[in-house]
Amino acid sequence: MSDYKKLVIKAGPGGWGGPLTIEPKDGRIIASVTGGGIHPIAQRIADLTGGTAIDGFNSTRPFDQLAAVVIDCGGTARIGVYPMKKVPTIDIYPTKPAGPLFRFITPQYFVSGVRVEDLG
Amino acid sequence: MEKTNLKYRAKVTHIGELVTEFIDAGILVFFGEQAPQELRDFSIIHDGKELKADLEKGDVLYLDHVPYEILSIGPVTNQNFANLGHLVVKFNGALEPEMPGDVTVANQKPHDVKIGSVIEIVSGQAPEEQGG
Repeated sequence: MSDYKKLVIKAGPGGWGGPLTIEPKDGRIIASVTGGGIHPIAQRIADLTGGTAIDGFNSTRPFDQLAAVVIDCGGTARIGVYPMKKVPTIDIYPTKPAGPLFRFITPQYFVSGVRVEDLG
Repeated sequence: MEKTNLKYRAKVTHIGELVTEFIDAGILVFFGEQAPQELRDFSIIHDGKELKADLEKGDVLYLDHVPYEILSIGPVTNQNFANLGHLVVKFNGALEPEMPGDVTVANQKPHDVKIGSVIEIVSGQAPEEQGG
């Protein structure tokens, strides 16, 4: 079995929320729910934790198999749904909670403005 | 002389359960068919495949032939729309986008979109069409 490492992710400049601790135990996945395949930040999180990154738009996993999701949300929809389902959510844009799902967005499950430098 | 300059056409294939909550907030969230299950709950899913040209302020979004002039577009709107069929339309009359993914149109109740509804986006350069 691979060793999984914990990774702390803090908000980047202008970002909100966190810090999140990601640990992909039991083979959990980091899903990149972004345009254009697996975002480099999702891949980097996978590399630093020993986890596996997948393209969230071309494959899907049950929520209990997700260690984290990386999104490129412009601030209305995706930023709510993953925290609502208690999946740690990393937004690469410095978005602050907004939108109809605003009430679900908490610092325990959401961090934004994250750059590669903010990982670990 | 072209009558219309069609940038996008699609048909609605699915309406998520939470779409009414978003409509109450004056927002319609669209995603293309490859959207994963969790995003389908609050989205209007459509079968659009190709964005022929970037959306611009002044273009017209038609929902079942009901026109909505686009007042503003955010910096990531076109990329999300082209890659994922993802569009967030806010019916708030804002002349600047609040969020980087927004498209804004005039402050009004959104058209009641259903399965089979037609989405079209036409260049603002097109001459006005009467009737419909």
